[in-house]
Amino acid sequence: MTLKSTTYPEGTVRALLSTNLVTEATRQVLTQRLTTPRQQPKFFSNDEFALLETICDRLIPQTDRPEHVPIANGIDHRLAENKSNGWRYDIMPADGDAFKLGLQGIEESALALFQRPFQQLSGAQQDEVLRAVQGKNAPGKTWDQLPADRFFEELLAEAVENYYSHPLAQEEIGYVGMADVPTWQRIGLDQLEDREPRPL
Amino acid sequence: MQHYPTNETVDAVVIGTGAGGAPLLARLARAGLKVVALEAGRHWNPARDFSTDERAQDKLFWNDERLSAGNDPLAFGANNSGVGVGGSTLHYTAYTPRAQPDDLRIRSEFGVGEDWPFGFDQIEPYYDEIEQFLGISGPSPYPWGPARQRAYALGPLPINGAGQLMERGCKKMGIRTSPAANAALSAGYYQEGVGHRPACANRGFCQAGCTTGAKASMDVTFIPLAIHHGAEIRPESFVTQLVRNSSGTIAEVVYVRNGQEERQRCRYVFLCAGTIETARLLLINGLANSSGQVGRNLMAHTALQIWGEFEEDVRPYKGIPGALISEDTHRPAGADFVGGYLLQSIGVMPVTYLSQMARGRGLWGQNLKRAASAYNHVAGINILGDCLPYEHNFLELSDEKDVRGLPKPRVYFSNGESEARMTAHADQIMRGIWAAAGARNVWAFPRNAHVIGTCRMGNNPEMAVVNAEGQSFDIPNLFISDNSTFPSALSVNPALTIMALSLRTADRFLDRKKRLEV
Repeated sequence: MTLKSTTYPEGTVRALLSTNLVTEATRQVLTQRLTTPRQQPKFFSNDEFALLETICDRLIPQTDRPEHVPIANGIDHRLAENKSNGWRYDIMPADGDAFKLGLQGIEESALALFQRPFQQLSGAQQDEVLRAVQGKNAPGKTWDQLPADRFFEELLAEAVENYYSHPLAQEEIGYVGMADVPTWQRIGLDQLEDREPRPL
Repeated sequence: MQHYPTNETVDAVVIGTGAGGAPLLARLARAGLKVVALEAGRHWNPARDFSTDERAQDKLFWNDERLSAGNDPLAFGANNSGVGVGGSTLHYTAYTPRAQPDDLRIRSEFGVGEDWPFGFDQIEPYYDEIEQFLGISGPSPYPWGPARQRAYALGPLPINGAGQLMERGCKKMGIRTSPAANAALSAGYYQEGVGHRPACANRGFCQAGCTTGAKASMDVTFIPLAIHHGAEIRPESFVTQLVRNSSGTIAEVVYVRNGQEERQRCRYVFLCAGTIETARLLLINGLANSSGQVGRNLMAHTALQIWGEFEEDVRPYKGIPGALISEDTHRPAGADFVGGYLLQSIGVMPVTYLSQMARGRGLWGQNLKRAASAYNHVAGINILGDCLPYEHNFLELSDEKDVRGLPKPRVYFSNGESEARMTAHADQIMRGIWAAAGARNVWAFPRNAHVIGTCRMGNNPEMAVVNAEGQSFDIPNLFISDNSTFPSALSVNPALTIMALSLRTADRFLDRKKRLEV
C-alpha cells in the first residue's frame, strides 16, 4: 500500500489568512510570524548563530521554495527572553548554557572527525557529525559535560516546533486547522470541507 | 464581581482555580461564605485572546521550569499543569470517564499500592452532579462500570477519523468500543448562573484552549457560577507564603500581584494548586509535613501512544481529539501487572504531533520531511493506566532558584515493573488494533501523563498529609483539594474525579461548620 501524494498546493494558508474563515486573533499571530524576517541574534554571538542556522538547515532542509523560515531566530528569541517550556532534563544544564555548549561540541566533533569547521563541511559530512551527536558517539570533550543525545533531542524538538508553527511549513503538510470560524462538520475519514486543500 | 479588602478576614482563600479549586469555590460561595480565589495566571477572554495557533497558546501552560529526574523524566509545560483562571482545564482534552469502584481498592485487590479512605458511593453522586452541570456528552448506557443513575447530559460528540479507525481495528480484534464521555457540548446548553454555551465547533484544539466555551473548562462553568454566588477571583496573584498565628492555624495568605506583595486575612485556606505546586508551596513554607509525606507517593499515568499512517484522509486536527474509548482493558484476563488501563483514539494538532515525533523517532532531514508530509493521514491510540507509588518517585526542592527567587521543584520519576508490564501489554494490543485497521509506519511514543500524588489523603496521620475530607492533619484550617491527594492514580483521566472530590470536600466542610456553629 502506498499513501496518496501528500504534496499540497502552495499558498493555501496565505490565502486563508485574508479571509473571514480565520479569527482576528489567529490572523494576527500567523501574519506576524509569516512576515517576520531573519533577524540578528540577541542571545547567541554571530558565529554561534551562523552555526546554529547551518545545523537547522540540515535538520529541516528548506530547498524546495524561495522563502526561508528563520528557525534559529525562534530559538534565539526564546533564550534571549529567558523563557522556558516548563521543564528540563535534570541532567542538562540551563537551556542557554546547554545550547552554547552543544554548539561548541558540534564544532569540536566536526574538527575531530574531518579536521575542518562544521560550516566548511559538505552536507553529507555535516549529517555524519549530527548523526554521531544524536547517537551519543561524537568525539569531543564537550560531550563529557553535556549528554549529547539529550542535547540533540532538545535542539531537534525546538527546531521542529519553530518550523511547523510557520504558515509556510503548514502549507507543505496541508494543515488548515486555523480556518475554523465556520466550524468543522465533515470530520470523518475522507470527508473534506471545501476549504481543505486536496493533495496535488 | 464582589471585591473584598485584604484587611478584611474573609471566610476562605482558595489557591488555584482549576478542577480542584473552582467547584469548591462555587460551593462555598453558594453557602454564603466570603471567598477569594487567588490565581497565578490571567483571567482570559477566550474569544478575544485565544488563537488557533499552538505556539501562541503556550501561554496556557505552567512554564516555570521544573527539573525532571529519574529514568523516565516527566515532561511538564504542555503536558501537565495550567496557568490562568481555569487552571489546567484550559488545556485538558476534556476526556471525562468515571473511575471504576475497584480503582479505589488497589491494595485490597492486589496487595500493593493504597486504597482510598472511602468507597465509590462517596464519589458517585458528585460524578452525577458534575456531568449534568458541565453538560458532558456521552453514550447512555455506557458499557463499562456500574449502571448510572442518569444518562449523560447530552448525547456523544461525533466520531472523527481517528475514532473511526480505532473502531474498525477493535471490531476485528473483538475489543468493544464506545463513543467516549467528553466535557464538550454536543448541543447548546444552558445552566443557571452560567448562561448559554454553544455546541462544539470540532476545532480539535482542546489542548491549546477552547475559543467558544463549548469545552467545560472551569473558566466557563464553575468560575462564573462562583462569581454569580459572590466569590471574588483575584488573577495574577502568585501565592508565596501561608502565615500562621500563635495557635498554629493559618491567619493570612501572602501573594505577589503586579510585583507587589499583598496579604489576605482569612479563616480557612483551600490549597488547590495541583500536584507539583501544592507540594512545593508546603515544602517552601515547611508546613503540614509532620508525616514527612509531602512530595512523596508521586505517580504518573502510563500513557503510551501508538501512531500510524493510513490510506484515508484523516485530517487529525478535526473533531474532539479523544472521540472513542474502550475499557475492555480495565482488568484484562491473565494480566501480570497491577490495575488496568483504558484505550483512547487520538486526533492531534500538527506541532504537538511533530514535536513528539522529533523526540520519539529522532527523525530529521528528508526523513523528517517525508514523515511530516503524512500528517493528514495519521491517527493515534493512547492508553491511560494506573501507576503505583514508589519510594523512588518524589518531589523535592532543588537548590536552583526560579525567576521569582523560589526553589525550582525537582521531580523524580521512574516506571516500576508493573508499569513496564502494563505498557508492554498495551503496546501489543494497540499495534494489533492498528494493524487490523490498515496502518503503516506504526511507531510508539513512550510517555507518562497526569502527575498525581505528593499530598496523599488517608486515615493514618503518619502515612498521609490530609484526612479523607482533605483536611491537613497538622493545620486544622488548611484543606487540600486537587490531584495531589489521590492515594492511587486510577485507570482513568483525573479531571472529573478531581472535581468530584472538590465538591465532596466543600460539602463535608460546610456540614461540619454548620454543626460547630449550631
